[in-house]
Amino acid sequence: MTIWDLPKKTSGKVARFNLNMPENLKTRLNEMGFTVGQLVTCMKRTPFNGPLVIQVQDCVYSVDKQIASQIEIQS
Amino acid sequence: MKKIILVGKPNSGKSLLFNQLTGLRQHVANFPGVTVELKSGTFGDFEVVDFPGTYSLQAMSSDEIIAINQLHKALDHEDTALILCNLDATKLERSLVFALQAQALAKEHGKSVVFTLNIMDQVKRFGYDYDVEALSKVLGSPVYAISAKTLLGISEFTAALKKHAAAPEKCQVQETLLTQLSPLEAAKQIADEHGIKQELVLGNQTKLDNILLNSFFGGIIFVATMFFLFQSIFTWATPLMDLTEAGVFGVGEWVSGALPEGVVADFVNDAIFGGLGAFLVFIPQIMVLTLIIGLLEDSGYLARAALICHKPLSLFGLSGRSFIPYLSAHACAIPAIMAARTIESPRKRLVTMLTIPLMSCSARIPVYALLVAVLIPDERYLGGWVSLQGAIFFMLYFGGLVTALLVGRLLDIWIEKGEQRNDLPFILELPSYRLPHWRPLFYKTLNSGIAFVRRAGPVIFTVSLVIWVLGYFPEQGNLQSSWLASIGKLVEPVFAPLGIDWRYAVAILLSFLAREVFVGVLGTMFAIENAEENMSGLVEQMQADGFTFATGVALLAFYVIALQCVATVATLKGELGKNRYSWGIFVAYGLLAYLVSFLLYTMLS
Ligand SMILES: Nc1nc2c(ncn2[C@@H]2O[C@H](COP(=O)(O)OP(=O)(O)OP(=O)(O)O)[C@@H](O)[C@H]2O)c(=O)[nH]1
Ligand SMILES: [Mg+2]
Repeated sequence: MTIWDLPKKTSGKVARFNLNMPENLKTRLNEMGFTVGQLVTCMKRTPFNGPLVIQVQDCVYSVDKQIASQIEIQS
Repeated sequence: MKKIILVGKPNSGKSLLFNQLTGLRQHVANFPGVTVELKSGTFGDFEVVDFPGTYSLQAMSSDEIIAINQLHKALDHEDTALILCNLDATKLERSLVFALQAQALAKEHGKSVVFTLNIMDQVKRFGYDYDVEALSKVLGSPVYAISAKTLLGISEFTAALKKHAAAPEKCQVQETLLTQLSPLEAAKQIADEHGIKQELVLGNQTKLDNILLNSFFGGIIFVATMFFLFQSIFTWATPLMDLTEAGVFGVGEWVSGALPEGVVADFVNDAIFGGLGAFLVFIPQIMVLTLIIGLLEDSGYLARAALICHKPLSLFGLSGRSFIPYLSAHACAIPAIMAARTIESPRKRLVTMLTIPLMSCSARIPVYALLVAVLIPDERYLGGWVSLQGAIFFMLYFGGLVTALLVGRLLDIWIEKGEQRNDLPFILELPSYRLPHWRPLFYKTLNSGIAFVRRAGPVIFTVSLVIWVLGYFPEQGNLQSSWLASIGKLVEPVFAPLGIDWRYAVAILLSFLAREVFVGVLGTMFAIENAEENMSGLVEQMQADGFTFATGVALLAFYVIALQCVATVATLKGELGKNRYSWGIFVAYGLLAYLVSFLLYTMLS
């Protein structure tokens, strides 16, 4: 399961990143708070497969499918 | 002069702090990625440099690349006295990730670091306070708790900053227990121990987001906001516009009454009050636009709007991040083209930059407002908050947007073949909602009016002068047999398919100098023609002249699409580093404008 599959108002812990993800993007996501073991919460889903609203620690991000479906979570 | 380098996480209040230190008025707004180039100002005996915000030392978008490269340069430079690193106290961990990286780098280069813990006013409102001394100890550099907005702690901080900058060797970065940890781990530990709890910060934000990002209401609120924004430029400004018009005519009548009849009086009447006056009347519109965009920028809603637009915009080769440059392009295309630097994907950035000139910038407002007032009856609804003219005004903006999207789609298909598809994905921080601060907003609004006059005023004055001389002589006030008419008739055939006579053709050609010139030129010509009659507004004169609906629509369409701005082309050239798009786009939009207005005229007449 990935962040993209999180229903609204549920949380999960980041397990791993997709192996094909470029290294620089992975580092950036780490720095933005998406670290392995970190609890992330899906605050909102938007219609027509639009971006999700994800809360990580002290920040809220809007994240599109391209990234969200590359971050796996343990449910 | 020794330099103080101001860096930090995006949207942490660096530019507001910079403004407080230097007394300048850099653009401040509540979304990440406002500052996209370096800006300097003086603070006492020092130069402060405001940097674009960055999440890390490893840059991704081109504004970050600028910031990081320049930071490396500054660290190597002997003139750099101090690195001032700004932290957002409501988001300590995120701020520290970059701050600790920057601090470590500064230490390597033997530079000293000072931290500001900004946005303390909000932290206090949430009922929390930081132990600044403990935080200084654990970070190994001095920390000052401040609020760049309410000026809490600013006077102590500025005194201390002067001291530190004069003797940076006294605040060298200290070894701490956390030095051996990675910045990520250290940030987490420090934030866990000292930071404000996230529930305190995010509570209100979540409640508002539930409404504004609601799957159903979110879209409606978005469309309503945009409609309200663009129609109010017209509706709200009308009373002010009438007032300015009355003022201009009052002064005009008084002055011309005092002058003896003859060439001089005619000149003052036609060129000064007819030409320049016709243009001054539109200052209120520019100011209303700036005010409303300013309100939106400060509230934090724009990042949400970018989210809502992401999906629809990506159908046209754009990203949600294109939304903010697009919106600010309605004031002026030049800063908007610069703002596109924050778009991570180079391809989407290119498409955004090339379509920005199709957004109706404020230089088009006088043209739109004049033609709308001539063509559309003044009907009002909902107690005067919405008007028919305002709604048509909105349609013009919408027309520009639709054209931009279609062109974007074409460019997207076309570029895909030539240039490699190199897409970085969409991730955007949603900032906390904040109440706008009235003072910067007030100055911003006032300045937009002044800047408008400064930029176009001299051009319009000169053009009105030349036009008056050419239009008044040789027969002293007979426009139709003047030199101007003979010149105008030469170009008339080119524009005849759009249903316009030589007077409008001249006005269109001259507005390649500046779009606002259109009203100035018409104002001068009509004033010469109608010299015997009582003074009335340009609108009534054009209506009496038998200006048709089809012509009006054709003219409007032309102004929506045509790129009549040399400065925009120059900025595009600067940002793209090659000419092939910039002049190409200039010609392409000119031809497209002509074609569309020709089709509309033929259909309507
Ligand atoms: N309440 C409060 N708001 C602040 C404070 N400082 C800045 N802000 C607001 O925070 C927002 C961001 O401020 P900017 O100065 O544009 O931030 P920046 O760090 O320059 O952002 P970038 O240029 O995008 O990196 C604006 O809406 C400011 O009004 C503060 O001390 N208290
Ligand atoms: Mg800034």
